[in-house]
Amino acid sequence: MMDRSSLLKGIRDAAGLAPALFAFGVLFGVLAVDRGMSPWLAVASSAIILSGAAQFALVGLLPAGTGAVLVAVTGLALRHVPMSAALARLLPADLSRVRRLALAYVLVDETFGLTVVAARRSQVVVADYKTGADVMLVVNWLAGTAVGAGLGSMVDPTRFGLGELFPLLFLGLAAPLVRGRRAWVTAGLAVVGALVAAQVLPPAWQVTAAAVVAAGVGSRFHD
Amino acid sequence: MTDMALVVAVGIVTFASRVSYLWRPRRTTHPQPFLDLFPLALFVSLATVGLATPDGAFRVGPGLAAAVGGVVGAAVGRRSIVWVLAFGSAAFYLARLL
Repeated sequence: MMDRSSLLKGIRDAAGLAPALFAFGVLFGVLAVDRGMSPWLAVASSAIILSGAAQFALVGLLPAGTGAVLVAVTGLALRHVPMSAALARLLPADLSRVRRLALAYVLVDETFGLTVVAARRSQVVVADYKTGADVMLVVNWLAGTAVGAGLGSMVDPTRFGLGELFPLLFLGLAAPLVRGRRAWVTAGLAVVGALVAAQVLPPAWQVTAAAVVAAGVGSRFHD
Repeated sequence: MTDMALVVAVGIVTFASRVSYLWRPRRTTHPQPFLDLFPLALFVSLATVGLATPDGAFRVGPGLAAAVGGVVGAAVGRRSIVWVLAFGSAAFYLARLL
């Protein structure tokens, strides 16, 4: 039995991110078709992969071949391992296997961030809250992809600059988590780590490397 | 490999990493402070990489203005995501106009 208020709170909170998610989906749909994917495959990839970063890497590296795509996607996907461990700690041990698989399927940065913040700030049933947020994300991501793939080059989603606003979205997800000296140190280390990684690592490995190092070093400090 | 097969392969790699600790309840081998801080480190890294140039500097433009506006919004709105997005978006479109 789901906790209705947690489910609705998840939907409500994720609704604030919906325009950006939809726009990002449109951007992906347009780009995928532009790079030679059929519209139905663009939408299928959003349903199967459900990861903006991995999908953009896929269409960007298609000309470089299968090996390049899989190496890049592995680098991007590795960040999900500690995300998975962090989410698992918030779930009850008796949660069914089906629910666990469903939550894993939509383990994406945005709803993961909302869930971590909600679990720390308010009394929610975590699995139900994340399910609500996930529904909102999946609907907008798939709808955006379908619109972008359908319209193709008829639309220029960069016109309003929504794609450029994604760093702001991640800042918004980070802001509620900055509490105490250790968090400030970790945030600073993540900024420096990401700037260094941008110089020395391939794009697909930059975020994972910077986040793991920042959290690893930051966890040695005391509040 | 066909495009469809590649999409499925990418889906499998992504899902395998996502399900690693969710497949069944178990104690993680990651220390708790690391897991507490990882989400913050992840989101700050994602934001920074999105604003960085390949030579490790910040790209000056509307995106950086949005980030500065977002930080101001966080300070004004007690770290609320809504305030971050509102201030950041305002700064972004203002910078595009200028």
